[in-house]
Amino acid sequence: MSAVWKAARSAVRRRRLQTVVIALVVLLSTATMVIAMGLLDSASRPFDRAFDKQRGAHAVAAFDLDKVSADQVSATARRSGVEAHAGPFDQTSVSLAPGSVSFLPGPLTVVGRGEAGGSVDRVHVWNGRWATKPGEIVVNQTPPFSGGAPFPLGGKVVTPQGTKLTIVGYAYTMSRTADAWVTPEQMKALHPTARQMMYRFSSASTEADVAQGIGQATAGLPKGSLVATQSYLTIKKDVASGPGVYVPFLMVFGVLGVIVAVMIVANVISGAVVSGFRHIGVLKSLGFTPRQVVGVYLLMVSLPAVLGCALGAVGGVLATDPLLTSAFQGTGMDLSGVAVSWWVPVAALVGMPLLVVLAAALPALRAHRLSAAEAISAGSAPHRGRALWIQRRLGGSSLPRSVSLGLGLPFARPARTAMTLVAVLLGVTTATFATGLASTVNEFGKAGDHTSGAQLIVQPGQPQFGETAPKLDDPQTEKVLRSLKGTESVTVDVHVPVSITSSKKVVAEFWRGDTSARDFRDQIVKGHWIEGPGQVAASTAFLRDRGLQIGDRLTMEVGGKPARVTVVASLMSQRDLLYADWRALSALDVDVTKLNSRFQYLVQVSPGTNIAQYTDAVRAADPGLYARPNSDSSTFEASVISLSVVLTLMLVTVAGLGVFNTVVLNTRERRRDLATLQSLGMTPRQVIGMTVTSMAAVGAIGGVLGLPLGVLAHRAIMPIAGEAAKVDLPARMLDVWHAPVLLLLGLAGITIAVLGAFFPARSTTRMATAEALRSE
Amino acid sequence: MTSENSSERVVVRLDGVRKEYGQSVALDGVSMEIRTGEAVAVMGPSGCGKSTLLNMVAGLDRPTAGTINIHGDDLGGMNETGLALFRRRRIGMVFQFFNLLDDLTALDNVALAGQLTGTSARQARKRALELLDELGVADRRNDYPATLSGGQRQRVAVARALMNKPSLLLADEPTGALDRQSGEQVMNLLLDLNRIGQTLLVVTHDPRLAERCATRLVEFEDGRIAREKVLERTA
Repeated sequence: MSAVWKAARSAVRRRRLQTVVIALVVLLSTATMVIAMGLLDSASRPFDRAFDKQRGAHAVAAFDLDKVSADQVSATARRSGVEAHAGPFDQTSVSLAPGSVSFLPGPLTVVGRGEAGGSVDRVHVWNGRWATKPGEIVVNQTPPFSGGAPFPLGGKVVTPQGTKLTIVGYAYTMSRTADAWVTPEQMKALHPTARQMMYRFSSASTEADVAQGIGQATAGLPKGSLVATQSYLTIKKDVASGPGVYVPFLMVFGVLGVIVAVMIVANVISGAVVSGFRHIGVLKSLGFTPRQVVGVYLLMVSLPAVLGCALGAVGGVLATDPLLTSAFQGTGMDLSGVAVSWWVPVAALVGMPLLVVLAAALPALRAHRLSAAEAISAGSAPHRGRALWIQRRLGGSSLPRSVSLGLGLPFARPARTAMTLVAVLLGVTTATFATGLASTVNEFGKAGDHTSGAQLIVQPGQPQFGETAPKLDDPQTEKVLRSLKGTESVTVDVHVPVSITSSKKVVAEFWRGDTSARDFRDQIVKGHWIEGPGQVAASTAFLRDRGLQIGDRLTMEVGGKPARVTVVASLMSQRDLLYADWRALSALDVDVTKLNSRFQYLVQVSPGTNIAQYTDAVRAADPGLYARPNSDSSTFEASVISLSVVLTLMLVTVAGLGVFNTVVLNTRERRRDLATLQSLGMTPRQVIGMTVTSMAAVGAIGGVLGLPLGVLAHRAIMPIAGEAAKVDLPARMLDVWHAPVLLLLGLAGITIAVLGAFFPARSTTRMATAEALRSE
Repeated sequence: MTSENSSERVVVRLDGVRKEYGQSVALDGVSMEIRTGEAVAVMGPSGCGKSTLLNMVAGLDRPTAGTINIHGDDLGGMNETGLALFRRRRIGMVFQFFNLLDDLTALDNVALAGQLTGTSARQARKRALELLDELGVADRRNDYPATLSGGQRQRVAVARALMNKPSLLLADEPTGALDRQSGEQVMNLLLDLNRIGQTLLVVTHDPRLAERCATRLVEFEDGRIAREKVLERTA
């Protein structure tokens, strides 16, 4: 065993507390970084795998039947750059008539296709079978995640012309090539309007590649024959937006964690070097070369750093899996085996200890420069601290002496104080950022779930799912609900499939009743709230996808009746939705019950109402009405909030450990001074007060500086996270800072400092005073 | 006032004081008294228990058995805060290695003891300056300990010990870290203090200090009082 290793090991043993602090700090920051990098790396992997498995289409093209023949479309597959193809398949849009299963929004893009497999877009039939004869249809649905309602086979899809198609299977495609499939023979009867062709290109890694591939394949076709194209990269980006939301704020936590770790490690090592002058002198007098002395100090910090890093990397990898599952839930993708890439923990295992050693190197080099005699004498000679004029001023102030002495202490070691200040500052920044993040995500979740204003949601039963059909019609149901004891407000909400001219179909949400229960106004990103029947609000997703803006006029078709409407507001939502009040529906004079619409009743009950008894009363009024309590927190919000709480606690603990470490260093260095003060009659409470005051001042400054930094980080990061989620956040969701919250967060610095300082301060009152007084 | 005409009031009374550190016994049933105005020197070889005795009297350490009374107060009945307040009011301490706070000037080191009792900064500095003046180091009042000589540091330490007018001044090897000349100065200082009525308990290895300053010599061996004698001062 080398002398350096031996000396480092004994140094680690002597500084158990600081060793534990370094290990913990490195563990927490490594775990955070691994989670962030792991999610960043894995965000698109499940899609890639599922896409490759299905041999997904790099591009899907739709051609006008009247302008181009099947042979011409087939010829595009032989053009250069096309590696594989499927099609041409005929396709059409089918509106849903009453009698259709209610879970399909309709109208459906239906494609006539003889088989699920092929060289491109191998559709995965996960329930039932492929359509083999006319009258059968296979519906595109992602498999329900555990706990979701099952999809029944045998349900009907009824066209406005009266054609009845029986659902014989459920399948899904990563390429999103159709909403449903029928046999080519059946398609002929449905009167196709377009021809679909799917391509895989030899080069398709960028949008430009895909565009070039499409251009080459369709070159020379009659003008206007290509009516629509879709790139797989758009879908991929869409799928990755789930986990992508986590990445920006996880990166913030990770970077903050790494900076705090660097500060604390530098502090520990510089403290160890300063308090270990005599130790350094002894090592050198024993024959250790300056390089070996530096080696001892670097090794001393590397041991806990490597251990902390290894545990942090493992913890980070383990924590990433449930996050991925949560982020991809409901996408239908097989997540088994989706693990964090090997390079992520390896990068952490190499990078973090390297960073730690670099942080330690600067103070350790001081040990390199000191001569043995200098080091030994420096350990015992009296020395003055810095900024002594401050001590003198404080000594003459009217503050209690224990307080004025405490306030002067941070100035004696300005570099150590600065590093502690940065740790506290970043702790407060983290707490502030996390508080803002939680508030915004909570608001986001409430806004995303438009039912959040209600305590109960009542829905008519769906016989196709084995539920009882309701006896009451819509107006009767509303009336009954309003008459029940405890009802405070009822909002009726109906989702109706609508067609938009020259754009893809969308679901529109119409509502009536006590609309105050619906807080849509709070979700306005741009524009103003609906003021008349000719106005609609649209989700930002709707506007983005169609390149529309506020003020644009659309022709909306409900049940075959057109209406010209103006988009007056963009609402924050990831869903493709239009919003209008009941006046818009009344103006159309359409019986939506005859469409494939879905009603729900949002009920607010008066305070003190027993929810279980209310639910029973609803069931008694009509066994076909299903009432369920409304939970307004989604998995996403819960994941983000719980993750941010955990990471904040981790980083705040780390900041507290930074203070703890500084106080331990200070009290060890000032052991004799503290004993002197006690010999002069300073009480234990005054000693604790003095020590805690020294850090409380640092905490107060850290709080004052960390607060605006946290607010700025929140302001900068939330829009980026919103962008990843394809949502524009309303200004209201970023204005989450209120005076009481800010005050509490401002006190967070002092709290971190006081908690970090209290325990080592208390232990100083128990030291052997007499022994300390006699030491030279 | 001199020791000859001092009252017979007992300032310190130790009764069967025993102190153990694990297996070793530092003090083994020590009983003694110190009366007002006395200057008691405690001598003996290293490890005989003389410094332990000083720490017990200062309330910095607690006996394993026995009682210690200072001015009639039983130190055993006091908690840590009580002991701290006791030290403030009754005790002044001088150490071998001075134990001045490096970040404070000579003046503030002395004033600190007064400020801890609640005296205002202005009052404490005024009294500290008077003491420094009396001890001949007023001209160094704004200097930091690192720039003072050993003798000057010890005089500042004595001034600090006297700040709250203690009834008992404890000195632990006060000349142990000083050169001969500085040691002489400190001895004279202690002698002068005792002559004006300051009760002294001095632990020392230096027989000259004992002969010069003490009115009584107590010799320790193996944690016990081996012999005691009244001294005629040489100065």
